[in-house]
Amino acid sequence: MFDRDVWQEIFNTIKTNKLRTFLTGFSVGWAIFILVMLLASVNGMQNGFLGQFNDDATNTIFIRPGTTSKAYGGFEAGRRIQLKNEDLEYVKKSFADDIEYLSSRYYANVTARYKSETGSYNVQATHPDHQAIEKTLIMSGRYFNEADLINKAKVVVIGRKVAEDLFKKEDPLGKFVELNNLSFRVIGVFTDDGDDNAERGIYAPVTTYQRIYGNTNNINVIALTYNPTYDLAKALEFSGKLEDVMKRRHKIDPEDQAGLYVWNYAEAFDDISSFTAVLRGIGIGVGFLILVAGIVGIGNIMVFTIKERTKEIGVRKALGARPRQIINLVLLESIFITALSGFIGLLFAWMILAAVGPMFQTPAFSNPSVNASTVITATIILIVAGVLAGLIPAMKAANVKPIVALSDK
Amino acid sequence: MIEIKDLHKSYKMGSNSLHVLKGINFKVEDGELVAIMGSSGSGKSTLLNILGMLDGADSGEYTLDGVPIKNLSETKAAQYRNKFLGFIFQSFNLINYKSALENVALPLYYQKVPRKERQEKAMQYLEKVGLKPWAHHLPSELSGGQKQRVAIARAMAAEPKVLLADEPTGALDSKTSYEVMDLIQQINDEGNTILVVTHEEDIAHMCKRIVHLKDGVIVEDKKIEQVRAGQYV
Repeated sequence: MFDRDVWQEIFNTIKTNKLRTFLTGFSVGWAIFILVMLLASVNGMQNGFLGQFNDDATNTIFIRPGTTSKAYGGFEAGRRIQLKNEDLEYVKKSFADDIEYLSSRYYANVTARYKSETGSYNVQATHPDHQAIEKTLIMSGRYFNEADLINKAKVVVIGRKVAEDLFKKEDPLGKFVELNNLSFRVIGVFTDDGDDNAERGIYAPVTTYQRIYGNTNNINVIALTYNPTYDLAKALEFSGKLEDVMKRRHKIDPEDQAGLYVWNYAEAFDDISSFTAVLRGIGIGVGFLILVAGIVGIGNIMVFTIKERTKEIGVRKALGARPRQIINLVLLESIFITALSGFIGLLFAWMILAAVGPMFQTPAFSNPSVNASTVITATIILIVAGVLAGLIPAMKAANVKPIVALSDK
Repeated sequence: MIEIKDLHKSYKMGSNSLHVLKGINFKVEDGELVAIMGSSGSGKSTLLNILGMLDGADSGEYTLDGVPIKNLSETKAAQYRNKFLGFIFQSFNLINYKSALENVALPLYYQKVPRKERQEKAMQYLEKVGLKPWAHHLPSELSGGQKQRVAIARAMAAEPKVLLADEPTGALDSKTSYEVMDLIQQINDEGNTILVVTHEEDIAHMCKRIVHLKDGVIVEDKKIEQVRAGQYV
């Protein structure tokens, strides 16, 4: 199959039909180019969507209380559910093996002041675990720890924007900032990949804030990450169980969707995955339809080539060429033209994507690119396409009757 | 070497059937040089095509070197052609993008002879037909006589049992024709069996036996005194 004579032959046909080979090859190259671009765009969309989440751990579950919409367990509908510290302890005890990090959140709006600068910010009072859940990146200083929590220390970790707004050029570490006229020591500054808005937030120990707000034990949200080795099915099973248990604890109808929200990132991920899978399917479908035109083109050129070379094929048969050898010759030529032009298309698409891809960084579309699986898929498609394009001409060539081919009278 | 019994062949031409060969009986011994003569339409080329397994007979028997040739698959026919037969055509039928050497080596390629051995053997046969210096020329760079000599070298390269020549001098002037016939005679002198289809009397008389075909039957089959082509060259 890979001997010199076969290749000499293929190169000769290509050489003598340069323009024709180029034009048909172009159609296949173009089809692959479009196919790769479509797949890269789907990748770009997927990257964009997933980028929205990537500042949070992807195995996060949030539990938010709501207002019941159904009467249940002797309670009327319309009851407000309030989460408390005890709920956190309960979750911690009930699901010790499933949980990786666990934190409560207590929200407060504050007016912050440093020297003459003031601003209004959201405070999220949390446990130290929250750093891992939210993937908060500390630029300088540190996050608060268990000791701060136990001591109800009046310390805060402020966002980069907060630091810029209040402290200007000063280093905020160790300085005291007033939140609603209470003085807190800044122990860290954080940044967030997600968006600038997150950087306008302030973190403080939850115990500190619960004491400030009248020794309450209320919390707004329970945030947790589950064991990262869980697959989607197991994650969904876990969040389902969590929802059941929490609803039972708060005497909410299991069917009541409004009483308690258990929000699992895995579900959202699953939705995005199936959405982009559909898009990818459409991309492959459209690309393939365009490729069909290219295949027909290659088939066309091959039929012509065979017609022109009928005599030569007749001579070969007279000299003892077996039909299979003739078929191989034609198929190989077809695959060669298809694969070569396809790879040129692939290369072009890849170069364009490498050049302009990184420029796309919008939320819905970011860094379109081709990955190894796309290249492998394209290669397989090309070889199959080459075989398909060459099949009919090859059969035709194999059926050439030497007698007809050689009669020149 | 070749034995044919009651061979019939007809072609369909629209609604009509053209009966080309009407019962040919014919025997060729080892080492013969036979001319098959006849005017056009006499069936001589059809006979040669059947002998060359390029075409099948309707009925009759054909035995080549003791092997019955009947109902061959394409692949089997290709194998037999490669093993038993060498073809020489009127229009040479060299492959125009292959050098003389590569053309000669082609049947050996289909015999799966390794490349190096193929080249060496092909070179020997080119030397035999006196074209060694032209080994790497393309057919377009050769004269008609040279092309036919390359074709003869190609036919011989596979060391066939029988050489079949269809009007080998039809496209050549008389001087070149005699050169080619001289070569064919030399090859025959070495013991090779050769069949030549021709309609030229002088070419036919350079063979050792003339078979006359007319309207699909053999009308005359005689041994003759061979005229040596060498004296005209």
